[in-house]
Amino acid sequence: MRFMILVKANKDSEAGVMPSTEVLTAMGKFNEELVKAGVLLAGEGLHPSSKGARVRCEGAKRTVIDGPFAETKELLAGFWLLQVKSKEEAIEWIKRSPFQEGEIEIRQVFEATDFGDAMTPELLAQEDRLRAGTEKRTGAGS
Amino acid sequence: MRFMMLMIPHGYETAAPGTMPEDVERMSSMMAYNESLQKAGVLIGCDGLHPPSMGARVSFPGRKPKVVDGPFAEAKEVLGGYWMIEVASRAEAIEWATRCPGSENEVIEVRQVQELEDFSPDLQAVAEHFPSMQTVRK
Repeated sequence: MRFMILVKANKDSEAGVMPSTEVLTAMGKFNEELVKAGVLLAGEGLHPSSKGARVRCEGAKRTVIDGPFAETKELLAGFWLLQVKSKEEAIEWIKRSPFQEGEIEIRQVFEATDFGDAMTPELLAQEDRLRAGTEKRTGAGS
Repeated sequence: MRFMMLMIPHGYETAAPGTMPEDVERMSSMMAYNESLQKAGVLIGCDGLHPPSMGARVSFPGRKPKVVDGPFAEAKEVLGGYWMIEVASRAEAIEWATRCPGSENEVIEVRQVQELEDFSPDLQAVAEHFPSMQTVRK
């Protein structure tokens, strides 16, 4: 099972304040543990929402709104993608993370087999082509 | 430059456990969009997430982990899925987001991904293994 671990933004991350060497060292150590255990598929940090944008969909109309999104309480600052056996295992990993504050959200990723009938054989074949292409690009699954 | 396109479907914050897309037509148009990203050579990866009611949140009050199972009553916006793309500019990323066959209730947030060279030299030194963990083209 794959889980996405969502790290929420805070005042510092939104202000573009980069983490201290101490925090980065602790996080680097934690990341290495994830790699050694073979559970880490990917991890990324995001620039503040002030550099981002939102696209609102209304029928065929598309409205582009530039960041920051001050009214939003729950912005994303980064994520990990983990391959584990259960939600409990994903939670166990996050309990051991070096975070001192904030809130981390744990969400299971859809696999093609989760979709049932909506995933027609044609769509499944298309999905396979998509995965094969992206794995080639990221080196995942190899 | 890498960007994440974050799909935020309003209403998904209260979706019941096990809720799955059921509309074949919508699924087809979304898959066609995914394939157009791939054919253009910009798609690095994409995924959908099960509803928050099946997830959990871990916070650290007093530096001790506290686990709360979903759904999260206070959440007004939750993530439904994402695309990771590599494009030449922010404008190109936004252009791709506007081509998504999104529904009325959906917003796509476009956010640039931090690369190692965005960090100061002393931070780069302690994060030297970071690229091996990232979803970059290899």
